[in-house]
Amino acid sequence: MIHAVLIFNTSGKIFSLISARPASLCNFLDAPELEGFLVHKPEAGLGLGGPAGVEGEKLRVVYRNYATLYFVFVVDGAESELGILDLIQVFVESLDRAFENVCELDLVFHFDEVHHILSEIIQGGLVLDTNVEDIEIAVQNAAKARKESFATANPLALGAGGVGGSRGTGGLQTPLGWLTGKLTGVNTR
Amino acid sequence: MWERTLQDLIRGLRASKQDEAKFIATAIEEIRQEIKSKDMELKAAAVLKLTYLDMLGYDMSWASFYIVEVMSSAKVHLKTVGYLAAAQSFTQDTDVLMLTTNLLKKDFSSRPEEVAISLNGFSQFVTPDLARDLSPDLVKMLSHSRPHIRKRAVVLLFRVFQKFPEVIPHAMSRIRERLEDPDPGVVAATINVLCELARYNPSDYLSLAPLLFHLLTTSNNNWMLIKIIKLFGTLTPHEPRLVKKLMPRISEIISTTPAISLLYECVRTCIIGGMLQGTAGNALARTCVSKLATFLQDEDQNLKYISLLAMVNIVPTHPHLVAEYQDMILASVDDQDISIRMRALDLVSAMTNSNNLQAIVQQLLSHLVRTEASALPSAAQTLSQTASGTTQTPRLTSPSQNPAYRLILSQRILTICSQNTYENIVDFEWYLSVLVDLAYVASVDIGSEIRDQLVDVTARVQGVQRFTVSLMVKLLCDDTFLMNADQEGSCSEVLWAAAFICGEYCGELADPQKLLSYLLQPRVLDLPPDVIAVYLQATTKVFGVWASELAERWDSDDLPRVKDAVESTIERLADFVSNPDIEVQERAANALQLFTFIRADLNSYRPPVERGFGYEEVGSSSSNATEPDFPKSLFLIHPLSSTYELKTVAPNAQASVPIPEGLDLEAWIVPPPKESVGHARGESDDDGTIVETRMVKKGKKGKGKETGGAKARSKKKKDGDIGPERLAPAEEELTEAERAEQARLKAERLERQKDDPFYLSNDRHSRKPDQHDVDSIPVVHLDDLPPLSQAAENPRVPMLRSNDVQFSRQTFVIDRVGEMPSGAVSSVASSSSSPVPSVGLPAALINRGPSPSVGNGAATTTPLSGFPAYEVDDEVSGTATPPPIKVTRAKKKTKAVSGASNGKKRIAASSTMSAS
Repeated sequence: MIHAVLIFNTSGKIFSLISARPASLCNFLDAPELEGFLVHKPEAGLGLGGPAGVEGEKLRVVYRNYATLYFVFVVDGAESELGILDLIQVFVESLDRAFENVCELDLVFHFDEVHHILSEIIQGGLVLDTNVEDIEIAVQNAAKARKESFATANPLALGAGGVGGSRGTGGLQTPLGWLTGKLTGVNTR
Repeated sequence: MWERTLQDLIRGLRASKQDEAKFIATAIEEIRQEIKSKDMELKAAAVLKLTYLDMLGYDMSWASFYIVEVMSSAKVHLKTVGYLAAAQSFTQDTDVLMLTTNLLKKDFSSRPEEVAISLNGFSQFVTPDLARDLSPDLVKMLSHSRPHIRKRAVVLLFRVFQKFPEVIPHAMSRIRERLEDPDPGVVAATINVLCELARYNPSDYLSLAPLLFHLLTTSNNNWMLIKIIKLFGTLTPHEPRLVKKLMPRISEIISTTPAISLLYECVRTCIIGGMLQGTAGNALARTCVSKLATFLQDEDQNLKYISLLAMVNIVPTHPHLVAEYQDMILASVDDQDISIRMRALDLVSAMTNSNNLQAIVQQLLSHLVRTEASALPSAAQTLSQTASGTTQTPRLTSPSQNPAYRLILSQRILTICSQNTYENIVDFEWYLSVLVDLAYVASVDIGSEIRDQLVDVTARVQGVQRFTVSLMVKLLCDDTFLMNADQEGSCSEVLWAAAFICGEYCGELADPQKLLSYLLQPRVLDLPPDVIAVYLQATTKVFGVWASELAERWDSDDLPRVKDAVESTIERLADFVSNPDIEVQERAANALQLFTFIRADLNSYRPPVERGFGYEEVGSSSSNATEPDFPKSLFLIHPLSSTYELKTVAPNAQASVPIPEGLDLEAWIVPPPKESVGHARGESDDDGTIVETRMVKKGKKGKGKETGGAKARSKKKKDGDIGPERLAPAEEELTEAERAEQARLKAERLERQKDDPFYLSNDRHSRKPDQHDVDSIPVVHLDDLPPLSQAAENPRVPMLRSNDVQFSRQTFVIDRVGEMPSGAVSSVASSSSSPVPSVGLPAALINRGPSPSVGNGAATTTPLSGFPAYEVDDEVSGTATPPPIKVTRAKKKTKAVSGASNGKKRIAASSTMSAS
């Protein structure tokens, strides 16, 4: 199971353990500092109890670095370490397709959109899909549904839609909306 | 209309870096207003902003009701915001969750977009109640017309199963159908779910094996194949027949697949799935290990890492295969990547045996030595340091410099050496040198562990005591530790062990007199009080042995020497008497008095020629003419400390002391006064040994009647003759109600004392019966010393062992189990087939005991009538060569010896008890 997905940039102070690692090192983090933190404690009151024989199993930190961003997945023994590396790649590719050449600011200003994309890949800690094409289609369908809903609710709105003014992903931006976005710096990279 | 959007909020936040707190305070104030708005758009915008702030660590639990409102919006774009906020902020205890049941039910039967949103959101806040109420809808959704929804539903069901397992049997057949779903995405998702579920109850999923095997042979989705392979890895230990069926297919994948991740999972499954047994298994094992070895040599660090990870699992069954790559693995311990080092450490610890232990420990130890070379940053590191503008970034240097890593490494060295009571150690002199070296080079806070090991090894291995003492004398003479005692990681706790060992085994000292000056040098005062206390104790013991040695070959020229020594000791002790620590003070005062007495005796001593006047007054004039020709006080101290030999005590020795006949431990020593409720009173423990006064808190509820009655009675008593009434034992006049009350109070008290370490409860036999790690229990349990916290800045490495140092190849006898009291009553049935203890009880002690007649030190073959707990330890064969060693074994109890300072006293006390 995937216990956490973290994204942070190079200036993240909390994550110095990872960001201090040169690129040549492996993508798995085993830090003595984390030993106590990563020991898997089964949730109290969990109906099924802990998985048999994995009491005290250690969670693993798998990460990948893309430009200024670090993508960190915390996973348990049910996931394949190399498989998770591939999954991170899938996630980043999906972000890239949705945001068209994704960068750090996209993720900062559209954190809700990042959540929506992630929700097409992972749901409740389990992997939903690993096929980039399928994921892209699902993301677009969801975005389209939100936009239509926004458009019917606000017939006069100029923005690209969504409550937070989330950027269009289906190429339906109005020129004016695109312009305002430019002016306010949303799209500035 | 002009409210801030999320974008405005983020932009404002990024612009106001200096005054973030203030900005956020205003923003949250605005959100609090907006969130109450009737306008759903505004409300949702506020919730979204709040969700963002929650990510930054600001509380949003107060808004959970508004979140539910937004969730219930009919518009998809608002609903999404609500579910996102819910997924992020709702916990198991969020009270509004009970309001969501119907909302979820409604959303589940709504348009597909909304179903998807609600399924995804719900997966983050499943509670047992919601799981129970909604599971029928979810199971129904498994046959939804859209694959996207089926996929989400099946994945969500895992969460539901986790919270409400009762539903599994009903849903399993439907989930099984999903394995044959036309959409490959749904099948993959189903496999993911099964892979998780099988980890809980593998045997329940064995029936799926044929279906899974079919998928394994037909699918080409790597992700799914990995998961299926993993799933089989959990299933095969429960169904050995699967191995035979799987083996050809897995072997095929191993030899053909280009995907390394799949290859690795196959290898790993072979290992953990128990497929490596038998002849066919051995061949497969060889393939697996050679594959892993190629990974290990790969320049991709990731492959190196996972290869080490998998090898740890194969070591227990095929150690010889992994041993072939030992050099390569040891090289990985030197890797600059800390992740790889940690994994290599794990593997190396699993690989140790008595043959390679010394080489491995030597290698690990060399990592701890700070050499100039390793401290110099590489060119790349220097470059990055320049780029980041800092001159000193310690974490970029080699992992060996990382304190956390050094600590783990040091602990690992101690663990692999001491595992199974030093099972792998052949040469204890070597091990003791390693311990001392470790203390010099560790620079982390590991001193107390080293101290415990030193004391433990010395007590258990008699043959090494002389060597230890000489080593410890060197430690005491070397002022490195004394100088660095106040620095972090100086390991000055080893001085505790050094002083203790020199004092305890002072008979082995080469030059006791010289040591005296070191034990009392002024700098000792800088040490922690508990160490000073041991120093003082050691001083007395060392002087005692020196003086008695001197007396045995007495020469009148010795008199000035002794006088000088006593004089200077007294002078030095004066400094310690005024120490602020009470323990030090008391010991110093005791020692001072003893030495003052000796001084007085020495002053009154006249050489034998002049004997006749002056000496008789010291005493012994009653003894006939054989007046000793040395001052008798020279023998004053030695017997105080040497009467009993310090030995390892079996962990359960105390528990095995038979209860003397006629001693009723349940009986009150002093019957409790009856009006005790609510008063401070003396409570006698069940053992009758500990009497403690404590306040008994009166329970406030439900006791009104009883206590009322008791009070009335006590009042009546008070009216009468108070004095004698109170003092007389009240046992016989107990009424039935009072007995009940007493029983209840006792039960309460037992409950209260259950976890109190200061009470010995009499159900200790039943407690921790399954604990068998004798080796983890130190012989002399030492008090928790306050960790000395400092780092040696310029640690000297004066005596690091190098490989060429040869140690004597003598074999050592280890006392693995410790001493048991005579007439021990074992609560565990143990055979007394060959009751021959290897280390006999000291003669003095034996002579007082009635039954056992064991010679001092030598093993006799006389069966001991009172030693039912002794038996021959059959594991000994691995540790030593001829002559065969008999080791006593016994069961354990953790608190056998407690208290560092009085460890010896305790042992003596318990031995006395057992012997009488």
